[in-house]
Amino acid sequence: MVHWSTLPATLLLYILGTVAATRPETFKEELTLRPLRDGKVISRFSFSTLLEGGVPRNPEKIDAGNIPQHYTLFPLALGQVLQEYATTELHLSLNAGKWDYDRWGYPDEQEVGTGAQLWAWIGDGGSSSVDERWKGLRNALAGLFCASIGSLDEQRTTIPKLAFAPEGDLPAWTLPHQLRHATLPSETVCTENLTPFLKLLPCKGISGIATLLNPHRLFGADWHGMSVHVTWHAERGVEVRLAFQAVFDPVRLSFDKKRDWSLQSIFGRPIGKACPVASASRIVVELPTNEAYSIDPQPSTVQDGKAIYDTSNIESELNLALRWPLESEFVYPLDPASQPPSPLSVQRTMAGTSQSRGRLSVSIRNSLPSEIQAVYLETMPWHVQFYLHTLKISNGGSARDDLLSDIAYTPPVPHGRPALFESVLTLPPNSTTQLEMEVMKSFLRYTEHPPDAQRGWDLPPAVLVPLADVLRAPVNGSEPAGRRARIYTRVLLVDLATPDFSMPYNVIIMSCTLIALTFGMVFNLMTRRFVVVRLKTGPVAENAAEEKDKSI
Amino acid sequence: MEDSEPRKRFRDPSELSFESSFLRRCILAAYWVVVLLAMPGWWQTTSIERLSLPTSQVLAQAKREISFPLNIYLSSNADDTDLNALSSKLEQLLQTRLSGPVSVRASKDVPVSPDSGSYSVKLTGEPGDELSEDGILLHHWDTSDSTATKALADKLTALLSPYADTHEREHVVSKYASRYRIAFTLLNEDAASGKSALSWEIRKALSLHIRPLLKRLESLHNFTIESQVQYHAPLAFSPSVVSANGSEVYGLTPEDLTVFVNSAEWTLSSGVTNDPVLHLLLFVPSPSRRPLHILDSAGVLTTSHSFILPQWGGVTIYNPPADMQDHFDLTARQLNKIVPIFRNQLSSLLGVPRLPKGIKAPSPGCSVSSWQIDALLRRRTVENVREAQQTLESIVKLVEQIENMPVGKDVKQDVEGALRALDQAFDAATLSPKLAFDHSNDALTLASRAFFNPGMLALLYFPPEHRLAVYTPLFASATVPLVVAVLREFMAWKKQRKAAAAAALQAPRAS
Repeated sequence: MVHWSTLPATLLLYILGTVAATRPETFKEELTLRPLRDGKVISRFSFSTLLEGGVPRNPEKIDAGNIPQHYTLFPLALGQVLQEYATTELHLSLNAGKWDYDRWGYPDEQEVGTGAQLWAWIGDGGSSSVDERWKGLRNALAGLFCASIGSLDEQRTTIPKLAFAPEGDLPAWTLPHQLRHATLPSETVCTENLTPFLKLLPCKGISGIATLLNPHRLFGADWHGMSVHVTWHAERGVEVRLAFQAVFDPVRLSFDKKRDWSLQSIFGRPIGKACPVASASRIVVELPTNEAYSIDPQPSTVQDGKAIYDTSNIESELNLALRWPLESEFVYPLDPASQPPSPLSVQRTMAGTSQSRGRLSVSIRNSLPSEIQAVYLETMPWHVQFYLHTLKISNGGSARDDLLSDIAYTPPVPHGRPALFESVLTLPPNSTTQLEMEVMKSFLRYTEHPPDAQRGWDLPPAVLVPLADVLRAPVNGSEPAGRRARIYTRVLLVDLATPDFSMPYNVIIMSCTLIALTFGMVFNLMTRRFVVVRLKTGPVAENAAEEKDKSI
Repeated sequence: MEDSEPRKRFRDPSELSFESSFLRRCILAAYWVVVLLAMPGWWQTTSIERLSLPTSQVLAQAKREISFPLNIYLSSNADDTDLNALSSKLEQLLQTRLSGPVSVRASKDVPVSPDSGSYSVKLTGEPGDELSEDGILLHHWDTSDSTATKALADKLTALLSPYADTHEREHVVSKYASRYRIAFTLLNEDAASGKSALSWEIRKALSLHIRPLLKRLESLHNFTIESQVQYHAPLAFSPSVVSANGSEVYGLTPEDLTVFVNSAEWTLSSGVTNDPVLHLLLFVPSPSRRPLHILDSAGVLTTSHSFILPQWGGVTIYNPPADMQDHFDLTARQLNKIVPIFRNQLSSLLGVPRLPKGIKAPSPGCSVSSWQIDALLRRRTVENVREAQQTLESIVKLVEQIENMPVGKDVKQDVEGALRALDQAFDAATLSPKLAFDHSNDALTLASRAFFNPGMLALLYFPPEHRLAVYTPLFASATVPLVVAVLREFMAWKKQRKAAAAAALQAPRAS
């Protein structure tokens, strides 16, 4: 509805809208390339658009109608979704593959849990409830990104208390904000998700760094994932950050088993044109240490072992290349790294062969010389139920119940709500802490099985959030402060009892036959006439039965 | 010798009480009674709920046509004109030209009642025709002119029924919706090649040019406005090169215009609402394809730089000055030339009639007179009524044709509600066009809701044969013994009667 109506509140909103006409929107893009010890290259694209002075919509004003939206760089399609469902903060990630913390270290984009993950801080109040808007939000995002996020329904939605703190600010409205979090580990990422993702960028995939987002190469990478983050900062405004992260293996791509790479060899194309509206655009390459290498062309600046290229003005095609000229063939390093890439390492397994019981075991290795406190979050769909009394925690082989504190547990509701287990773990230095719990696998209804029922169910990753910032090296200056690092475990596959799917028809036919048989017997008994047949006495009749029933 | 012993022990089964044929027949009958009694229940539980729709009412309603009585009040500055004679003459002329009933009355003091389909015409001596601020048509009256009455009738016809002679433009007007989203998009074909528009001061221009139009149309629609800028909007085809005035320019042929919007690459669609969207695009061609012009069917350059895509939106092409060296921002002043084109496109798309030639608008520029709004209101009412009638008729026909289609309570209620709203619209037509419009809108909403009711599709593809097939193992094996038992009993009864008849025949003989 147009807000030139006489309602003072809407008029005020409109005036605010016109006053903000001069508010600048800025767009920044950055590509980080990090060669790893094992020859792989981590690439991370980050596109952030800041709507200066933008304010999230207060849900209490939803009934007042839509506010006119005028954007230049901010993606309108996303702005419409945020406005329609009055969402303050939103994080969506779609990943494929398993992030190997032990070899690749801690990622620049921390949301690396396999599958889809969506969490949002939504303001309460107004005529539509938080859950209604959460439902609308995930359906709208499912449509926007062509992903099955719509199936992140009540059976997947949890409200963790500690692990997902807001990364921006939350406006102080009369009612507090609420968190909704859901994961879908079986979701995969592909071109159909990347195309709408690119359309949200001001320069799409045509100019600037986004040119390199070539689906043919990205989806052939060892690991790839994309994420969308919307945050609000009181002093800055609404920020949308779109990120894409992929782990490439140049050794696999090259013919002569070298680990040399260039933009052309990794992404299949160089950067041809600069994005005209990017206020900052750069490529950062982390340079190898203690090795002979050559980088071409010469970087604009080199700082702290990083080569920085300014790509806001490109005269000719930029095809960045990093070579190890002394190496004739890449040899995989067999000796362990002097320092583990990630100070925390988590392994989670589901043990047990039966289809009714199992044992969840998590082992967390802390290789730091100091004690770490971390939040451990486990969300389980209702068909895997914890036996909380069997929870055992041990360190170095001896039981240590004191390591576990602040347990919060939301029991599952069959066919309704997932289970949520959240607690604070104390991880002693240089040791492995073991967590074990028995689980029960539920019996599903016939219609609740997925189409490929025999494959089993993917269980969402567990999340470990260290309370002290120990994971990231201080190199990430661009990261906003106050954001806690998260470690995602691998997803699990659980085998549930699957029925024979022709069962309903068998049951119908079987019971029909039984009923028909019973009916026939009873009916026959009730309507049959019994008569005595007298046979002539004779030698033959001697043996014959005296009396026999005979129906007429 | 032991033979007689058991014979004495066994009683003749036919003498047992439960072996009497009467009891057996009772049992058999009881089975059949249960089966027959269960039949209606089975029929009830497996049949589809099909409530009867008011078919005859719908069909009767579909034949009705809505018309608005128009009252015109004539007044004059000069006292020498015979207004009464003129009125009757004008009424005769108008009745032949307008479809609805018209009455023309002479009136000294001009009655101003905006919502009742009455209009005022004032004859003045001043030259030129003008619509005054309060909706009075000031008509230049020249007593010496013999065709003056006819000229006035022509003017009034053009004002009161402006859609009669514009049938070819009819398809441009977007279908009625109570809510519209209006999306303004600045499209740069290729901003990376330079000399493109990086931003526009659209808010100022909108509040100056578009806002008054939308405010006038508030009684018909609710609007949501949005705008965005795109930096890469490639065309799906290459414009042809033509030479004009010795220089090479690029041209869009009429065929190109039909495929101009590249919906695969341009992100124009909205994902959050089902409201129809009217797109107004400002297209800046890439520097290598400037200037871009529109060609007519003969391949000759036209002066126009904009075109309308019927029911979808409008496109305007902006060729920046050739001496532009770098990227630029479109200022509100530059947009002042472009946004009025948007306004004209928007009013065409929303069906706002144009003022006939020779009549001045109350204030120059954007405002729409109450005569135009009334004409639009009447037109939309007629459209909505027709649409609602057709929808209702299709529901009734569809339900008649497809026997498996369920008709629930909500569908029935919606159909009845739509019929009621239609009746109200017909009643209100004589009182106020606005009221009639509101009712017609209700009728259309209810009728479409009934038509698109998801419950009507529920069992469309689940034929009763399937249900029977699954339960055949039960039905077949249970009915066969029942039927056979009846046949058997019937034979036994016939035999018994024969035997009884034979015995009866023999008995008198024996006696």
